[in-house]
Amino acid sequence: MKKDEKKSKKIQKGWDGISNYFRANSIWMLMYCTGCCAIELPQAMTSRYDMERLGMGPMATPRQADVLLITGYLSVKTLRRVIYAYEQMSEPKYLVAFGPCTINGGIYHDSHAVINRLDQYLPIDVYIAGCMPKPEAVMNGFKDLIEMIKKKKAIGWKHYRDNKEWYVKNQKHALGEVRVKDEFHE
Amino acid sequence: MNSMNNNVNDLVNDIKSKFKVLNVEHPKENQVSFDFKKEDIHSALSHIRSKGWVQLSMLTCIDWLEDNEFQLVYLVFNWEQGIRIQIRTRIDRDNPTFGTAVNVYPGVKFYERDVHEFFGVVFDGNPDSNKQLFLENWDDMPPLRKDFDSVAYSDKKYPVRKYKADFSSKAGDKK
Amino acid sequence: MKEIKLFVGPQHPGMHGNASIHMYVDGDIINRAYLLPGMLHRGFEKSMERRTWMNNIALIPRICVPEPDTNEMVYAMNIETLAKIQVPERADWIRMLILELARLSAHLMAFGGIGGPTGLYSAMYWAQADRDLILTLFEEITGQRIYHMYIVAGGVRKDLPKGIEKKIIEFLDDLESRLPDYEDLVLNNPTILARIKDNILLPKEVVWELGVTGIGMRSATGQEYDIRKVNPYAKYDKVEFEVPTATYSDALTRMTLKYREMYQTIRIIRQVLDMMPSGDVRAKVDDGSALRWKVPKGQVYSAVEASRGEYGYYTVSTGETKPYRVAVRGASFPQGLLGLEKYLPGHRIDDAPLWFDTMGICSPEIDR
Repeated sequence: MKKDEKKSKKIQKGWDGISNYFRANSIWMLMYCTGCCAIELPQAMTSRYDMERLGMGPMATPRQADVLLITGYLSVKTLRRVIYAYEQMSEPKYLVAFGPCTINGGIYHDSHAVINRLDQYLPIDVYIAGCMPKPEAVMNGFKDLIEMIKKKKAIGWKHYRDNKEWYVKNQKHALGEVRVKDEFHE
Repeated sequence: MNSMNNNVNDLVNDIKSKFKVLNVEHPKENQVSFDFKKEDIHSALSHIRSKGWVQLSMLTCIDWLEDNEFQLVYLVFNWEQGIRIQIRTRIDRDNPTFGTAVNVYPGVKFYERDVHEFFGVVFDGNPDSNKQLFLENWDDMPPLRKDFDSVAYSDKKYPVRKYKADFSSKAGDKK
Repeated sequence: MKEIKLFVGPQHPGMHGNASIHMYVDGDIINRAYLLPGMLHRGFEKSMERRTWMNNIALIPRICVPEPDTNEMVYAMNIETLAKIQVPERADWIRMLILELARLSAHLMAFGGIGGPTGLYSAMYWAQADRDLILTLFEEITGQRIYHMYIVAGGVRKDLPKGIEKKIIEFLDDLESRLPDYEDLVLNNPTILARIKDNILLPKEVVWELGVTGIGMRSATGQEYDIRKVNPYAKYDKVEFEVPTATYSDALTRMTLKYREMYQTIRIIRQVLDMMPSGDVRAKVDDGSALRWKVPKGQVYSAVEASRGEYGYYTVSTGETKPYRVAVRGASFPQGLLGLEKYLPGHRIDDAPLWFDTMGICSPEIDR
């Protein structure tokens, strides 16, 4: 029994290595512009900086996307929709946060409608610095994400799955309710 | 230039002859501001619209906390003459209600909803004026009033990151 | 058939910015539609009251993301009117140069933005590549690509670097030689014409009912209603340019007017570079440090012609070091909220994001 277990673990490890290699070289990002840093995303996608040579391309639906880019600040209304989209993505999934607004509120730290720390509500793998980050910084951040995936360090989704109650408690404290059914009071 | 001044003077004389104006100011070239009493506002708006000021740029509100009053400002523009008018009035702060201006300028409907949501002014006659537009599940007082503390609200609901060293107290004006 | 509720939600490949349209559809036709704004709401008007007059320069470009220089211009115009400052001549010409370059980049982005709703991604790639060259010019002049913080009360922060005029002229010659290709790609393309010709009309009565400004107003009324001609600011009365107009407004006409305005903008920039005098570029506002200015009492409104329409700020000052109230008038507030509720029903589902693009709606300036 022990020999079989060891052998199956070894096969699983090898299989993980191969699948992480494929995942790292073909990351599909979800088309969602959540904040101001999204204005530099078309520049990173088009011919001068060309995200596609790293294997990254846009994808329209969350069910088939790998990475969700939080470009900038998150207002309370957007956070509800982002949580909804993040939970629809299938595992393994990654999250990249742009700018200082996700670290400690940034320039909107005293606003009544912008959250201050994103990693209390969703798990983050890579932070990119700059207000707003230039396309070279964005490409650098993507390369860091690829290295982390290959080394099996991008495990934010596992943390979300294992500590779900802690995340849900924080979300309820800041948002009240996460799924709003009746937006127009009809 | 001279014709512009003549147009402004004609306008001021015309309005003064028909309504009781509390104050007239000229903040800059081609801009006039009139202060009316709150009962005269709707007839003044209809009269000005019929004279050629067909475009309403904005309706906004200012909170004068010491006087215990709100001030409503309508900004209208005339594309033929290039003259802009500010129409101002003051209403009570403790129970703020006002009649709607939707029959004169239909585009003011969403500006009234905006003022209602951020200041708490009730506009009679504006359909769906009590539904939330920009905020969702809001549980506190209207946020743009002067006695609402946005820093305290933000610290209470959205916790901040704690650092080992304290940088911010050296930065000057902390408020 | 039963009515179904759908939303062209915030996460959508063809959507401009972060706003969602909720609609009730019957088959393929929309019966009722509402815009859900507020997803980009940051409480700017409250935050501006807590910062000093000069501190606010860091906050205000972020109100309108594709074209931030109009914000700085109207804020500076308000302070200069209240404090009665005379701006030096060279600063006015440099301001015109920056504003026209910003208008060119915003028009390119809106023209190529038709690629999302229709699937013509080549337009988006070409337009963003040209916009990138303009952003590189901005980085050389002001130090930042997107949010410049360059136009301040009293003038501009520093003078133009040496040799920049040659680079701008080279860029303009290059762009002008390639603009006919844009016309072939989008305006003469049979697949695009089938979607935008005689579709999404804007009649003249609707313009006066809603208060639409900008290209929507000029394409429906046929008059040259442009703030640069009617109420000129910053030496626009000294340059020659035309304002394209039309009398029948469908989506094709508005895109054509946007295309023709790009030629006029290039013409203005060439004249500005020819006629610019020399001199200093910044006047003092108050004695002492900029963080302790006190602006005299008053209430004033200023507006400029942004690429989407009339954009303005209403400033109230009580003589302190911080503003008492600043109210923002976004150029696309009328057509985004009331226009969508009354005039989108009757179109098909696939016209909803196209309506958003051709009416010139930008969500951050509605939400502030």
